[in-house]
Amino acid sequence: MTLDEDRLDETFAALANSTRRAILGRLAAGAATVNELAEPFELTLPAISKHIKVLERAGLVQRGQRAQYRPCALDAARLEEVATWAEQYRPVWEARFDRMDDYLKTLQPQRKTRRPR
Amino acid sequence: MTNTGSQDAVIIERSFDAPVDLIWQMWTDPEHFAAWYGPDGASVPVAKMDVRVGGTRLISMRMQTPNGAMQMWFAGEYREVVNNKRLVYTEFVSDENGNALAPADMGMPAGHPTTTEVRVEFEDVGGRTKMVMSHAGIPADSPGAAGWAMAFDKLTARVEAHTKR
Repeated sequence: MTLDEDRLDETFAALANSTRRAILGRLAAGAATVNELAEPFELTLPAISKHIKVLERAGLVQRGQRAQYRPCALDAARLEEVATWAEQYRPVWEARFDRMDDYLKTLQPQRKTRRPR
Repeated sequence: MTNTGSQDAVIIERSFDAPVDLIWQMWTDPEHFAAWYGPDGASVPVAKMDVRVGGTRLISMRMQTPNGAMQMWFAGEYREVVNNKRLVYTEFVSDENGNALAPADMGMPAGHPTTTEVRVEFEDVGGRTKMVMSHAGIPADSPGAAGWAMAFDKLTARVEAHTKR
């Protein structure tokens, strides 16, 4: 299974917020409407909706299309992708190897790509 | 999620336009290593490497935070050293003398492996180098539960409890 780096970045960005993690925690217990999700927070409905939109874009939450209240549900697959110890290190190593690549170019500026014959 | 057994390891394959001995030096020459290893905005003021099986390593990273400069130390031991072919070393959070610290003392999440292992394989491919790096926690106990934050660990457990297998 290959992980899409951009998608992973988006997921981590969505998770980097305590309110959004709390919303996911609530959804882990079952689907809920925006009103239900807003209850434990001292936040306005538009503010909660904004957080839900971020989670939706990151693929962590799915919203029902049919019902009037469009209940939110957790999309567990995406969460499992990032919920491993290892995945938090992947972007760190990728950035390191990007720097290694740049550093190598400063060390061997004369090196050219081999010409095809 | 497919169960490949690799959930507790980061595996990255890269190809570099440089000869294999230079890529080997990237990992084993302290000056070269310091040039790429630290995150952006961080420096690696100390990189001591006794590159032989059983030899120790000590790396320091210094970074600026909103609360001032922060310095972290990482120590470990070389497990396998095969020039231009394979390098395996362990790593753990330490003090400046290389003594292990509990990860929790460093603000790392519970479930974070105490010691990790970095394995790098090098291969010459017509003057270029193919490099495969794997970074794994040892022991890899309960990989599914080892999240990146305590709150997140709990969340994952709840998700798993509510997800049909």
